[in-house]
Amino acid sequence: MISLDPDAFAAEAERAGGTVVLHETDDGGLDPWTAAVWLAGRNDDVRISLAQPVAAATTEMRDKAYESLEILAGPRLTAEIQRREGIDYDSIPASLADVAIAPGDPRYRGRKSTYMRGGSPGLILRPRTPAEVADALEFASRHRTVPFGLRSGGHGISGRSTNDGGLIIDVGLMNDVQVLDEERRLIRTGPGATWKQVAAVLDKYDWAIGSGDYGGVGVGGLATAGGIGFLSREHGLTIDQLRAVELVLADGTPIRVSADENQDLFWAVRGAGANFGVATAFEFEAAPAAEVGWAQLTLVSPDLEQTLTQFGEVARSAPRDTTVFLIAGPPRQGQSVVQLYGMVDSGDPDTIIERLTPFAQTGLLAQQQVVVTRYADVMGQAADIGPGGHHGAGDPVSRSAFLTRLTPEFARDAVKLLNSGEVYFFQLRHMGGAIADTPADATAFAHRTPEFSVAAMGTSREGIDEAWEPLSRHFDGLYLSFETDQRPERLTDAFPPATLARLRDLKRRYDPANLFRDNFNIDPEVKK
Amino acid sequence: MTDYGHDLLFGTFVTPTGAQAVDLAVTADRAGLDLVTFQDHPYQPAFVDTWTLMAYVAAKTSRIRITGNVLNLPLRPPAVLARAAASLDVLSGGRIELGLGSGAFPDGVAAMGGRRLTPGQSIEALAEAIPIIRDLWDTTTRERVNHQGEYYKVVGAKRGPKPAHDIGIWIGAYKPKMLALTGRLGDGWLPSMDYLPKGADSLPEMNARIDEGALSAGRKPQDIRRLLNFMRLDGGPAQWAEQFADLALNHGISGFILGGDSHELAETLAEEVAPATRELVEKERGAASQR
Repeated sequence: MISLDPDAFAAEAERAGGTVVLHETDDGGLDPWTAAVWLAGRNDDVRISLAQPVAAATTEMRDKAYESLEILAGPRLTAEIQRREGIDYDSIPASLADVAIAPGDPRYRGRKSTYMRGGSPGLILRPRTPAEVADALEFASRHRTVPFGLRSGGHGISGRSTNDGGLIIDVGLMNDVQVLDEERRLIRTGPGATWKQVAAVLDKYDWAIGSGDYGGVGVGGLATAGGIGFLSREHGLTIDQLRAVELVLADGTPIRVSADENQDLFWAVRGAGANFGVATAFEFEAAPAAEVGWAQLTLVSPDLEQTLTQFGEVARSAPRDTTVFLIAGPPRQGQSVVQLYGMVDSGDPDTIIERLTPFAQTGLLAQQQVVVTRYADVMGQAADIGPGGHHGAGDPVSRSAFLTRLTPEFARDAVKLLNSGEVYFFQLRHMGGAIADTPADATAFAHRTPEFSVAAMGTSREGIDEAWEPLSRHFDGLYLSFETDQRPERLTDAFPPATLARLRDLKRRYDPANLFRDNFNIDPEVKK
Repeated sequence: MTDYGHDLLFGTFVTPTGAQAVDLAVTADRAGLDLVTFQDHPYQPAFVDTWTLMAYVAAKTSRIRITGNVLNLPLRPPAVLARAAASLDVLSGGRIELGLGSGAFPDGVAAMGGRRLTPGQSIEALAEAIPIIRDLWDTTTRERVNHQGEYYKVVGAKRGPKPAHDIGIWIGAYKPKMLALTGRLGDGWLPSMDYLPKGADSLPEMNARIDEGALSAGRKPQDIRRLLNFMRLDGGPAQWAEQFADLALNHGISGFILGGDSHELAETLAEEVAPATRELVEKERGAASQR
């Protein structure tokens, strides 16, 4: 439709009702995209169908335009979808019609991949309420032949929050962060918020909740797995700050779990949440927060084995207010570059320096940046994910383990791992402190006493598995969020026998048909 | 003393985030400002697409004029841009101006799939683009538009739609070649005070380069309106009005565009600074014409 009188154009569109189809013309008519956006701004109800892709310099610019319209005007574009086998597109629940994204939809490109993983799901459902989550789960339970994943921030390494040709329930739109009770520092957040957003809200009240080491991570994935970050040694894991979780079970039942109600599920959700439901809200008790010391140190080590051993000793004797993570790359020409980054929960420069000095002495200090700042500013360093979404490619190859004690023998084996050429990223996350204050059987996250969480990333599945194997004698368990090995024994690494048995009992009760089967699946059928 | 005699325009420089940017534009419109302008950095993930934002804002506002400040030419090919601008001018009732730049940040352009040009090449590309845009806007003939340029090729394109008013092409320019190009081909000059090498002291020399460019192309210096962005201003409304009046009367600046993304600032600009500046300038211009 083309009319060069704006009011007539808008009126025509209104009369057309429902959906207006805009065609590219070759007669000097209006630019379809400009007309579409203007119309969306003029009329809050009209939906727009573009007969041709928008004229743009590049596909990146075209996708940005589509996503921008959605940000400004909500989901208004309709498109001819490219159907994938095994998905009944005609039976998408009406409540989800405007937040269902299929291939061909202009919004698809920005939601199909995650931070580290390329994907091409057949359908992404983005519920806004628990009732819509239930509708989405009903749809998912009718589609058992295609993969099914859950997505919050889309940052996961192990989590398969995208797939090829399957379904995704993406809770990104449930991202409200509110304060419930100022006196008790209780807050409530949707699963789709990022930790950067949560930290920014809490900062106004001089509060913080420790999350991971990156503010771009979503609440949902982390708060159902563990959360090992810069405040864990002082306050415990992120899941230890949880006071209640609301989720929708496989059969669509909304349920609230806490220390007072549905305690068994509250136990399970804190460490194995993705097996039991779609979390729609989390309630946390925040900790008081003031200024913190934030450090990024670059060390050069002529003897990495010695540096790692010494780092272990320093970390072991550090007070709870100090948390330092280590990243090392392969030694080159006899030298290794080691990055230390971490937090001292004190605004006092002398204390900060005193705490950090022993860490800085584990190698030759090449660069340092130490600032007094806020927890929210450290989380705020994460880049915003704008309309373009994540654009990961391929599948990440990683291993994870909990290190009981950082011994000289471990240091020697770790250097061998780095020398193997199979890993390009090797990280030690400092644990201990308050993490161990919670008993192992209090949450489904049972690994309370290791000194470190160890993670490595490589490029070849076989290569990293082979190089990693010799280290296993130092390990006890793994952190499921950082593990991409899918061999069945990894499940028993994630959950010790007593934990796994209890989880399987609960799985039989709450998800007997094994709808939530994507990541570290606890199969209800397996016999004890 | 340089005064090109244009009427004065006051406006805001808005960061193109989503709903917040729309709200700021609506405030500027309601407050009675003349211009709302949006920076354009499509490779910045936190920003929405500036053209999409402008089209949306056009529907949500009724009086204010809208422009990119300035649009990134390497990511917005001239034929598409000309048609989009003309369309939005029609839809908005003649409220669109075309702020255009040759495109900074080649890495960002490349990240969005655009081609990487050297600064020199991007100036040549801008010089090619402007005549293409003007041709597509010119519906006095039905002759198809053809351009065989080094950077842009247009083959047999139909003209139109006809813009609702004479859309000004306002160019973000700092370096001598760009200033000369602005004088030859532009309708306006749209730099930021903070990026002028010597602040206001740079204006005489930069204006002179634009003037020379205009004269070399058989145009008049006053054919090019001079606007200026201010990311921050010291002092209060009264001082700003004096500063603006001085810039208008002595450096020919006739557009004052404020950053800061503040509703309050937009209202102060419209209600206090603009009338005070206009009064000062009219008084002086009146006196000058008496002399």
